[in-house]
Amino acid sequence: MELFTPEIGLVFWMFVVFVILFVILAKFGWPYILRSLDERAEFIDKGVEYAQEAKSHLDNAQAEAKALLVEAQKQQMEILHEAAQMKTQIIEEARQAASVEAKKVMDAAAVSIEQARKESELQFRREVSQFALQIAEKMVRKQLSDDKTQVEMVDKLLNEIENQN
Amino acid sequence: MRKQIAYIVAFLLMAFSFNLSAQETSGTEEEKAFNPKETIFKHLLDEYSWELPFSHEHKISLPVIVRDYKGDWNIFWSSRLEHGQQYEGFYIAQDGPNKGKVESVDDQGNRYRPLDLSITKNVLALIIAALLCLWCVLSVARWYKKKHYKAPRKGVGAIEFLIEFIYTGVIKSTLGDKAPRFAPYLLTIFFFILLMNLLGLIVIFPGGANLTGNIAVTMVLALCTFIVVNVKGTKEYWKETFWPDVPLWLKFPLPIMPLIEVFGIFTKPAALMVRLFANMMGGHMIILSLISLIFIFGAFGAVVVGGITVISVLFSLFMLMIDTLVSFIQAYVFTMLSTLFISLAQVEGHHEGKTEKVEK
Repeated sequence: MELFTPEIGLVFWMFVVFVILFVILAKFGWPYILRSLDERAEFIDKGVEYAQEAKSHLDNAQAEAKALLVEAQKQQMEILHEAAQMKTQIIEEARQAASVEAKKVMDAAAVSIEQARKESELQFRREVSQFALQIAEKMVRKQLSDDKTQVEMVDKLLNEIENQN
Repeated sequence: MRKQIAYIVAFLLMAFSFNLSAQETSGTEEEKAFNPKETIFKHLLDEYSWELPFSHEHKISLPVIVRDYKGDWNIFWSSRLEHGQQYEGFYIAQDGPNKGKVESVDDQGNRYRPLDLSITKNVLALIIAALLCLWCVLSVARWYKKKHYKAPRKGVGAIEFLIEFIYTGVIKSTLGDKAPRFAPYLLTIFFFILLMNLLGLIVIFPGGANLTGNIAVTMVLALCTFIVVNVKGTKEYWKETFWPDVPLWLKFPLPIMPLIEVFGIFTKPAALMVRLFANMMGGHMIILSLISLIFIFGAFGAVVVGGITVISVLFSLFMLMIDTLVSFIQAYVFTMLSTLFISLAQVEGHHEGKTEKVEK
């Protein structure tokens, strides 16, 4: 039964050795190890969290970029559309402006032509009347002297001719 | 590979049978009178000196520290007591109740046992285990001091894995917030027991001492757990012990429940003590018995001995493998139960559900 009776000496030494071991490890071993284990676990957790966040950010960024691209394309289309519209508008405006201008020019030309015509008409009438007078003078010189009623009659006749024209 | 093993076995068989037959012809008295019981117990128990491998003659002499009945301390080497020698009146008893221990004779001529604090084989093995434990744990701590967040490699990594396994798997999951308070004690217990168990399985010098299979060692370990549990126990724990939440008749005129609870305080560490002791001692005993078989059958001739040798060696190899597993499991179980007992003594308020869960 020696197996089941604890030996005093061994109990004593076991106690001493165990207490010394425990004190040394509790002071210099375990606190460092446990703290470092916790810290490292936290560090790794944080790293994983960060990576996940970064990944989601990246995914978001891709989606955002896509959305931006779509938006840009839309805007581009709009701009092109607007430009086309503007172009037609400008052309239209130019055309209108040109036609107005042309009309103006035409009008001015017509006016000037009219004026020139009137002037030339006036001149022509004067010349014609002079010619007529000269003719009449020549004719009448032969027949008559200068007669006021005859000139008036000639003028009257000329007017009639003009109105007929 | 298989062929090679077969060759080795055959060679060992031949060598053994030749050796034994040679001894038989020379017929030494010692081999004939092989006493398995004595041999097994000699290996299971403590010794004053430590045999060096492969020799019965060369022993490591260890200091014997004894106090005689007059109160004087005597320190001398154990080699002085070899072969029944006497030194200053001290000798190793060959018979009687103190067989194998240092004895002396007082003035009246009575044999008595002096107070014996010798550095025996087991004590030296304890110190070696403690130093190994220190080295293991401090190497991890040093790694962390030097290389902060880097994961440890190789040996340090293996130890760190064990620490992590026990700390998060057992201590943190059971004790929760209180884990850092008790973790140093529990981890020390785990590593010390594990190293003692494993050292006990190594047959030659630095190992081979049946440490955790010695009731004195397990008693001290259980006592430490007992002290930690009851000194650090909360008020609620003591209230639950002496005035538990049960119908009044169970505790008032006759304190049945408190009696059971107080009894439980002592049975818990006792169970710890006996479990570790019996498991490790049993393992050692089986292996020693298997090896003894070879020598018991020594008288039956070469062929029988050869066969028995192979069978014994294979069986003891198998048992050693199991014991390696058992070494770990027992260290784990001791730590786990200690954690459990501590957590049971850390009850706060009425966490009935929580304690029940822990008990399962």
